[in-house]
Amino acid sequence: MKSWNELENSSFFDANARERALGMVDKGTFTEFLGPHDRFTSPHLPVLGTAVEFDDGTVCGVGLIGKHPVFVVSMEGKFIGGAIGEVNGAKMVETIHLARKVAKEIQEKHPDDYAERRPLVAISFETGGVRLHEANAGLLAHAEVMDAIQDARHIIPVVAVVGSKVGCFGGMGFVAAATDVIIMSQEGRIGLTGPEVIEQEMGKDEFDASDKALVYRTTGGKQKYIVGDCNYLVEDKIGDFHNALADVVTIPMDEIEKMRRIGSQKLVKEQQELVQLVADLQPGDSMDLWKHFGNEDPAALPNMTTADFLKVVKRRVRP
Amino acid sequence: MALQTLEFEFKSANTQSISKEWSHHGVTGSGDMECLMEKKDLGGGVKAKVVTPVKGFDKVWEKMIGKFVADTGVGNVSIEINDDNATPIVVYMRLRQALAEATAKEAE
Amino acid sequence: MEYKGITREWDTLKKDTLARKKDAEQFVREGKIVDAKDAVALLETVIKPFDKVNIEGNNQKQADFLAKCLCQVDAKKVHDLHMVQSVLTLPEHLDVFEKGIAKKLDMSFSGPQAGRIAEFLKEGKLELGAIHTYLELYGRYFVDLTPRVALIAATMADKEGNLFTGFSTEDSPAIIEATKFRQGIVIAQVNEVVDKLPRIDIPADWVDYVIQSPKPFYIEPLFTRDPAMITDSQVLRGMMAIKGIYGEYQVESMNHGIGFDTAAIELLLPTYGEQLGLRGKICKNFILNPHPSLIPAIECGWVESVHCFGGELGMEDYVAARSDIFFVGPDGSMRSNRAFSQVAGHYAVDMFIGGTLQIDPYGNSSTATATRVAGFGGAPNMGCDPKGRRHSSGAWLKVGEEYGMGSEMWGPVHRGKRLVVQLQETFREKLAPGFVERLDAFDLAKNANLPIEPVMIYGDDLTHIVTEEGIAYLHKCRNMEERTAAIRGVAGFTEVGLKADPDQTRKLRELGIIKTAADLDIDVSKATRNMLAAKNVHDLVVWSKGLYNPPAKFRNW
Repeated sequence: MKSWNELENSSFFDANARERALGMVDKGTFTEFLGPHDRFTSPHLPVLGTAVEFDDGTVCGVGLIGKHPVFVVSMEGKFIGGAIGEVNGAKMVETIHLARKVAKEIQEKHPDDYAERRPLVAISFETGGVRLHEANAGLLAHAEVMDAIQDARHIIPVVAVVGSKVGCFGGMGFVAAATDVIIMSQEGRIGLTGPEVIEQEMGKDEFDASDKALVYRTTGGKQKYIVGDCNYLVEDKIGDFHNALADVVTIPMDEIEKMRRIGSQKLVKEQQELVQLVADLQPGDSMDLWKHFGNEDPAALPNMTTADFLKVVKRRVRP
Repeated sequence: MALQTLEFEFKSANTQSISKEWSHHGVTGSGDMECLMEKKDLGGGVKAKVVTPVKGFDKVWEKMIGKFVADTGVGNVSIEINDDNATPIVVYMRLRQALAEATAKEAE
Repeated sequence: MEYKGITREWDTLKKDTLARKKDAEQFVREGKIVDAKDAVALLETVIKPFDKVNIEGNNQKQADFLAKCLCQVDAKKVHDLHMVQSVLTLPEHLDVFEKGIAKKLDMSFSGPQAGRIAEFLKEGKLELGAIHTYLELYGRYFVDLTPRVALIAATMADKEGNLFTGFSTEDSPAIIEATKFRQGIVIAQVNEVVDKLPRIDIPADWVDYVIQSPKPFYIEPLFTRDPAMITDSQVLRGMMAIKGIYGEYQVESMNHGIGFDTAAIELLLPTYGEQLGLRGKICKNFILNPHPSLIPAIECGWVESVHCFGGELGMEDYVAARSDIFFVGPDGSMRSNRAFSQVAGHYAVDMFIGGTLQIDPYGNSSTATATRVAGFGGAPNMGCDPKGRRHSSGAWLKVGEEYGMGSEMWGPVHRGKRLVVQLQETFREKLAPGFVERLDAFDLAKNANLPIEPVMIYGDDLTHIVTEEGIAYLHKCRNMEERTAAIRGVAGFTEVGLKADPDQTRKLRELGIIKTAADLDIDVSKATRNMLAAKNVHDLVVWSKGLYNPPAKFRNW
């Protein structure tokens, strides 16, 4: 595997789950929970003749950013599309619970400088949602993760990190939306129904899944940044995601709460206003929406580098 | 239908093992595999366990891993592979890469 | 002795054409323009039963609107047509047989319709003349398969009927010249009718009718290989080929196949090739479509010239801005030409390198499967030793000098030999073997009642095979037994490879007939995607300084 220094300058998009996990935290600080050597594989897949993986496709562990313990969940899209089953689902849930318990202990031990030590959960999503081979366990895992995130709310930030090949779709699209903070690169995608399924259900005229530029304009990082679905847009480098996390660890919890997009009556109202806007505007393409938010030449935005984009982009102003 | 597990043992003249206690490499992606290498006192030999959905390639697996052992002269190692339709060259390359990692000094 | 000439009319073709055109006058609106809504009626008027008809199309641009129109003609009026065309890729190309409009077929390549052709042959819906290479078929346009009516595709026309075929000129000149100069009728579908063309590729008096199609002609970005899809094993074979073949023979001119293996080579030139100090020594002149994966090598100064069979979507601006490298017209846009590119690929380059589906122990290689009549395209003309070649070059002479059967076959004469190289992984996806004892082409010949097995590249023309196991330098072999042993020696764990005799393989390595990665001093564990000069399509855009404009399906931004 690449060294930490190499990882910081590597593409997040091309990196596997373990490389991302290592590179999102400070050098040499990552410890894996239930790693490959523990051989904790899915009990369901062998019966169905499907290949298994020693870590069941999700790398969990803890590292540091400064003095902040960062609990990491990192999904591997190459293994069954990053789908969530019983084992990797449970790993994810327990990692979030553990972070919350650790937060409590640190608060007791270090009441004076707790702010410098407050933990954080970073979930690197690369998944299409439920692993169909173990559907019930996978669905249950989704529900438990939602609960775990809810339990952690107001205590520690739970951060979605999205910039990998598969994107973040299906039930995990809901889970990502339920986190406090979302960090994306322009290569990242978040959605509920995957592009191919939309095309299959609604027809090619409605949504052409082979038109990748259209798919990215609809679900990609730049669109999410403009409408306010993601909080940070960074370059496709592991180190840039690391830096964004280093920013989030310092933000007080009441500010973190304001970064959420859903989860209160006020936010429900804000979302309803957005739905109303789309109903009024009837956009044929995301670019219509970008224009509405003040971007004079929306067609130029997709081709811009992230740095140039951030300089000129106009975002939806939140109430 | 179910996954099958293949186990092989190889004699190796060399008793040069890996430097790490264990080392992991690769992802069980489609057409790919992952490999766990572990230092073990096997009297110089190599033990291999392959878990794969592919049927009818038992002999090929034995020859592929045998070639890797012969080419590299590695010994006292247990190799565990989770496979998902990797082709012979992918198997060989992943084993070589895994070995390179297992014998590397801690990277900076 | 008295010789008596026959008595006949000598201009019946011309008179017939004039008569057909007179009947069609009603459809002509202005100049040579016919409205799209009258296209079917026009075809019913100018095409007669048993005509030889060409629908332009190859693996790039397609006269798709005219193909659709031909399917809609009344089969009572137009039937038993003899289709003479390069490629059958659209469903309409076979629908004309289903509907009884066409009966006989002479073609070159079929791609996606290959399965249906085999079915139609079995059911007697289609009578197959022959499967050709592109050059063969173009040749026969001027011998015994001259189209009576050609339905062609152009980018733009003016009202007089001058055509601009531009970047996607491809087969148009060959088809139109053959058709028009034997009194045939040329109908062009165009994307646009303009007042003034950027340049004239086909003069108006070679064209009879111009129809603006409702949609621009269909074109597939077939030669775009996303670097993100290149595997480590392709990188390994690419490195072996660059060191063991390109470098070894100092190959300056070549054609690359369409696959990911050669895309990997193109992307390894600025990295691995540079490390080996080969810039300026190899890969200077290409006969090749404008592959986006060639951009980094061009930008790093490797490439001196590229002539193209056709265009490639998204490469228009890049190619236009590199007129020292590509063949660009006075208007500033490239002109492709498949016929000339094929001639160049046959006679003027030193190497063909590509991939295939199956190789047998004799070195014959084929992409045929038992139930698909897929044809050849241009590969056999480039993947062979052109016997008519008389100019020499370093690489060509070196292979000739090394030819193991030279003294037996050639006597004392000095001759060279084209490098014909197959890059082959011993097993493909789903563990389908790349080496077989018997080619599926034999089954196909039987199933489709073909007189000869459709072999893409004949064993006696093949000089090198590159697999992950090693390179087999087949031309060095002194007899067929040695050749077969060399092929088995690099065929890995396939049925062909498992029959290799390890002692003989070792001997062949000593003779330099087989070289493994280790023999070439290549570290297998270092052969990874990290070696590629571009790792995704976006990197190619950056290399091109923003001039490459990839089609939407290749964008992930």
